[in-house]
Amino acid sequence: MERHQDAVIRTVEEKDVRFVRLWFCDVIGTLKSVAISPADLESAFEEGIGIDGSAIEGLTREFESDILLRPDPATFQLLPWRGEVAGTARMMCDVLTPDGQPAASDPRRVLKDAIARAEAKGLEFFTHPEIEFYLFEEPYREGVPLRPTDTSGYFDHVPRASGQDFRRTVIQHLEAMNIQVEYSHHENGPGQNEIDLRYADALTTADNILTFRTVVKEVALSMGTVATFMPKPMIESPGSGMHTHLSLFQNGKNAFHEPGAEYGLSRTARRFIAGLLRHAPEYCALTSQFVNSYKRLWGAQEAPSYVCWGHNNRSALVRVPFHKPTKGTSSRVEFRGADSAANPYLAFAALLAAGMAGIEGEYELPEGAEDTVWQLTDKERRALDYEPLPTDLFRALESFESSELMASTLGEQVFEYFLRNKRAEWNRYREQVTAVELDSSFFRI
Amino acid sequence: MSVEISTGSLARLGFGRTDRAQRFLADPALDGLDRAGVEAIGRTADPDEALIGLLRWAESARQADEAGAARLLAEVGEEGTAGSRLVTLLGASVALGDFLTRHPDRIVALEGEADGLDAATAEVRRRLLRAVGADPDAEIPVAAGDGRSGRDALRIAYHERLVQIAVADLAAPDPTAVQPAVSEALADLADAALDAALAVARTSVDGHEDVRLAVLAMGKTGARELNYISDVDVIHVAEPRPGADGGSVDEEALIATASSLARELARVCSDRTAEGSLWQVDANLRPEGKDGPLARTLDSCRRYYRTWAASWEFQALLKARPAAGDRDLGEAFVEMVAPHVWQAAARDGFVEDSRAMRRRVIDHIPRGEVERNLKLGPGGLRDVEFTVQMLQMVHGRGDESLRVRGTLPALERLRDGGYIGRDHAAELDASYRFLRAVEHRLQLHRMRRTHVLPTSEGDLRRLARALGLLPDEFPARYEKVRRRVRRLHEEIYYRPLLDTASTLSEDQVRLTPEAAAERLAAIGYRDPKRALAHIDALTEGISRRAAIQRQLLPSLLEWFADGVDPDLGLLAFRRLSDAVGSAHWYMGLLRDSGVAAQRLTRVLSDSRYAGEQLEQIPEAVRWLARDEELRPLGREALIGEFAAVIRRVDTAEEATEVLRRTRRRELLRIAMAHLVHLVRPEEVAAALTDLAEAVLEAGVQVAAHVVATEDGPERPSEQPQTTGEDADEDQSALERLGIDLGVLAMGSFGAAEMGYSSDADVQFVVADAGAGEATTSVAVKVATTLQRILNAPSSGADMKVSADLRPEGRNGVLVRTIESWSGHYDRSAETWERQALLRARPIFGSAALREAMRETMDRHRYPDGGLTAQQRRDIVRMKARVESERLPRGTDPSRHLKLGRGSMTDVEWTVQLLTMDSASAHPALRGRTGTLDLLDALVDADVLPRRSAEDLAAAWRLAWELRGALFLWRGRESAILPLDRIELRAAAQVVLGPDATARQVEEEYLRVTRHARGIVEAVFFGEPGPGA
Repeated sequence: MERHQDAVIRTVEEKDVRFVRLWFCDVIGTLKSVAISPADLESAFEEGIGIDGSAIEGLTREFESDILLRPDPATFQLLPWRGEVAGTARMMCDVLTPDGQPAASDPRRVLKDAIARAEAKGLEFFTHPEIEFYLFEEPYREGVPLRPTDTSGYFDHVPRASGQDFRRTVIQHLEAMNIQVEYSHHENGPGQNEIDLRYADALTTADNILTFRTVVKEVALSMGTVATFMPKPMIESPGSGMHTHLSLFQNGKNAFHEPGAEYGLSRTARRFIAGLLRHAPEYCALTSQFVNSYKRLWGAQEAPSYVCWGHNNRSALVRVPFHKPTKGTSSRVEFRGADSAANPYLAFAALLAAGMAGIEGEYELPEGAEDTVWQLTDKERRALDYEPLPTDLFRALESFESSELMASTLGEQVFEYFLRNKRAEWNRYREQVTAVELDSSFFRI
Repeated sequence: MSVEISTGSLARLGFGRTDRAQRFLADPALDGLDRAGVEAIGRTADPDEALIGLLRWAESARQADEAGAARLLAEVGEEGTAGSRLVTLLGASVALGDFLTRHPDRIVALEGEADGLDAATAEVRRRLLRAVGADPDAEIPVAAGDGRSGRDALRIAYHERLVQIAVADLAAPDPTAVQPAVSEALADLADAALDAALAVARTSVDGHEDVRLAVLAMGKTGARELNYISDVDVIHVAEPRPGADGGSVDEEALIATASSLARELARVCSDRTAEGSLWQVDANLRPEGKDGPLARTLDSCRRYYRTWAASWEFQALLKARPAAGDRDLGEAFVEMVAPHVWQAAARDGFVEDSRAMRRRVIDHIPRGEVERNLKLGPGGLRDVEFTVQMLQMVHGRGDESLRVRGTLPALERLRDGGYIGRDHAAELDASYRFLRAVEHRLQLHRMRRTHVLPTSEGDLRRLARALGLLPDEFPARYEKVRRRVRRLHEEIYYRPLLDTASTLSEDQVRLTPEAAAERLAAIGYRDPKRALAHIDALTEGISRRAAIQRQLLPSLLEWFADGVDPDLGLLAFRRLSDAVGSAHWYMGLLRDSGVAAQRLTRVLSDSRYAGEQLEQIPEAVRWLARDEELRPLGREALIGEFAAVIRRVDTAEEATEVLRRTRRRELLRIAMAHLVHLVRPEEVAAALTDLAEAVLEAGVQVAAHVVATEDGPERPSEQPQTTGEDADEDQSALERLGIDLGVLAMGSFGAAEMGYSSDADVQFVVADAGAGEATTSVAVKVATTLQRILNAPSSGADMKVSADLRPEGRNGVLVRTIESWSGHYDRSAETWERQALLRARPIFGSAALREAMRETMDRHRYPDGGLTAQQRRDIVRMKARVESERLPRGTDPSRHLKLGRGSMTDVEWTVQLLTMDSASAHPALRGRTGTLDLLDALVDADVLPRRSAEDLAAAWRLAWELRGALFLWRGRESAILPLDRIELRAAAQVVLGPDATARQVEEEYLRVTRHARGIVEAVFFGEPGPGA
């Protein structure tokens, strides 16, 4: 502990860092930032920095506005877009109650607890997200159609190359912050890009996703464009998903891998998948947390809206990718249900908890799906027992509310707050009079 | 020729089975043994076993080397010879005797002049490595041959050295003097065995040469205080060996190879072959324990210790020492962990961890063995180690001189550093050595890993003699040592805290204020400075009180630390002590009754309420000594008690005061019984209700008297004295007034589930008993007077009598005649008034009046055919309205313990709705008023599923208990689950147990009330909720 803190203090001195931003996030996953001066670093490490958190969504309860932020020195990074010298740095923080206990309402705490429960069983959770997002020429304004930065498609090489410049800059910044990028390319929709972060332990990945979203937005702005991680910005174009590869390690070995087994899948992996499937309706509100998320899930452009799994089946909620028989470490399952707007801490915690429930409850894995699920008829799907995911946020919240697994994973306070907050979102949405309604009924009657 | 000795002589020499001994001595195999030899055998710990061992050995030895065996037998009687050493060993260790019988040639271990404990560490290592055919000077020693022959060779060489050590140990005139040297020699031997086992393991692990593996000894091996047989605790650390090919090994392969080596190493040691086994190698102290990889790189360890490790792991690392394999790597590991170890005392949770550890130590021993368990029993080895380690951790952060591994070296440093007095250090040192020496002798016999003293006389005799004691001396000595050790922890840890300011004799420890504060902080005192001031105040001076407090405080300080708030406890104790002064009984009680003193600390550190009350009613401390005094009085006893006290007073004012005082006293009794867990929460609720009934009954008597005297026209000559001279007159006060006053207990009072600060809700009903026209007006006077007496403003938690639930509420007449009262319910009562009757219980009035009330109530609270649609709608609507209106503005509904989501009111309403609806069909529901009682009845009647009833009961009970705990803790009413973490933790520890945290109780409460709320909603609003 000591050494890490000292290293941070030394670096701040050497690089003449002027501000240190303390990052944390609210229950929705919005990044929050408090800047402190280097002089306050030591007390931040020792005691935490006290702030009034009353205005922050879900982080505090009424009458209990004081919270402490304690930075995690292992996450110290300079912010590359602020320059190398006399610059700004950031650290991710744990949120604590005034007496120094982990705050029940801190999403990072939720994930840490879930990880600790798995680690008590000797399992380490790794994730590898593929994050999609859109670039637009200008910010959304009511009534003005969105203009994507290009009109290309999947893997297209874009001649004007602004997209490539964009991705290159993003990747440079990320790598400067020690966030490894696996892969990046143009996605299916116009102006849609995908960047894959290298696999890492789930807490690091979640920290990285928060950073990633910031970097993408900063770079977009610097190039005169706007980035959004909204799940489904345009009705005719695909939504932005966050397919996430999940794996568990035990004793430094991939616990999903078993040489010679079907698809190389160990029993642990099969039970984990079974857990992901059985609890999918319950955690859906977390992996797809906005009203808009359900427009992606049910938008017919290759989103996995039925609960099933399949070997290399891109229409299934859980896909088991081809694995290279020689590489036992690469066994993993791909969860395709989450979108880019999820709070990664809560989403990962929920996925891990669901998988662990499968392992601990020794769930039986149903038959894998071999067909392209969205091409089947409803009757066929019913015959195959493929349950649909909730069709909207309201139904997702109903399943979520009745889930003991979610309540115990999130803790009662986050659970309660999330429900309240999302119900309010649903109610606001339901009150709207939309253009569709006006178009369809204004003149008709 | 063998010797012939009479059985009598043999018995005198110390043999037990003399016939057999005589027969053995006649055996030709023992030819050469002379009388001096037999006498030498008689001096061993167990002559019978020594003799049979010698015979076996001789038979085997003669086959191998006839002349050598005879020579050895001839010199048994001569001290300092191999023969004499042999029989000493045989008398103490059957196991090593068996070894020598198997390998008679290994007798060379007994020869030579050198002290067996002197052998250099390096030399032992060379011997064992050579035995398995490895080159001790090679950078990577590898055994010759296959693993099997290596295993046997290792075992033989190991036991040969063990024989040497045991012989030196047994030859020592004072076993406690050589004990540390014996333990060190055993640890060195374990190191050497680990190295040799590693050399053997390498023969079967491919690619071992690419790996640098360091074996770190932990625990007793690490501290070089090993006993004869014990698991050897290790941690394995691996790094790539800079290879000849220059290429770096990938980490996964490295760990795989290192783990194979480690696994094989463990097997080489523990496998049972023809030569037995060495011991288990236990690697469970490694990062992540059983689930972690067997070996890790230095960097991976570093990451683990930085982020994941718990406090106890750092305490374990205190002992880490490079034992085998790559020394440089081992040293690097020790260096890496050192700073962590010494920061442990500053980490969050250290106090809780060490507190939990202390409790675990006591809890874990099987009951029957407690007294005989050398290691874990009270006053055993663990107590010594705990005392020393605790002081090391507390003071070692600032004082580097304390950073040593072994218990005895640490003790020495603590003494030199002035943390432990010389006398105490010497005592602890001697006790520890004695217990260890006993342990050594115990294990040596059969090389079994045991810490439990034997019970058979023969075994005890051998043990005593092996220690150089007479058989009778041993038990007394053992008892004395254990008793002393038990006291020493207090003496050493707490005593110096008392003496920071006073004059000390030369030998006593004077802690600096900083060191004293560290000690207090380490066991949970949050404001050590102030605590020290209290300690000074309590112990200064030469009064008897100060003297006794000096004697008691070391224990009390520890007990306070076991409670919720040690600082509060100590402060309250000081106040109490000032209030009681030097009353003879108080000091005597604390000194003589350990139970009373311990309970007092618990009460004071868990409850501000009890502390404050005890200052007012100090004699209540007495109750703590006896369960029968502490147990709350039953209803009848209370009524008798109150009747007795009001009889002794003369005026209404005085009566009021006496009532109040008596009530406070009984309330304190209930609170203390609750705090020390003498009674269960349900019993507390019942006791509080009984108390309220008794107070009310006495209050009515007084009020009736007041009214009777004020305007008793029929007895104009009555003296101004009110509450008259004898019981008959008291009883007749109401009669004299000509009324039959009935009191109906409502709400939690009626349900017999009151809390500490519940109001007593009542209704008054009256029947004419001679007053005629004046019946109502006289009754109103009595009721008004009663309320004036009981509700007069005062400090403290007084019971308020409220009649607001009467017909027409506050606007209604205070007392109705039974006819009017029944008429109201028959004609105009609203549904909620009828619902309220479900918890109503007549507690006062003539039997006929009570029966009349009950009859009316039953008609309305248990309507024929259940609720009508209209009634049901009324209740549901009222519920919906109450929810939005009654909760105080701005309160988080999920945290209100009474009116909150899924909390008490929710559960009560649900029970009431269901009962009202189904009581006509299920008569078993009738006449019950308690919430939990009704929940059970509803399950039995199949009205409510068992799961739902359990969820509702859990929520109600937890809310009730939290309110009680919070009242006791704060000393005042609170209906809201606190946000303050300290208050929350206090409630958690009182309700859920000593290790409960603030977050735990918060989660638990929110969870059970959420479940309950789901059921409530399903019942009331038809919304499906979880569990419904």
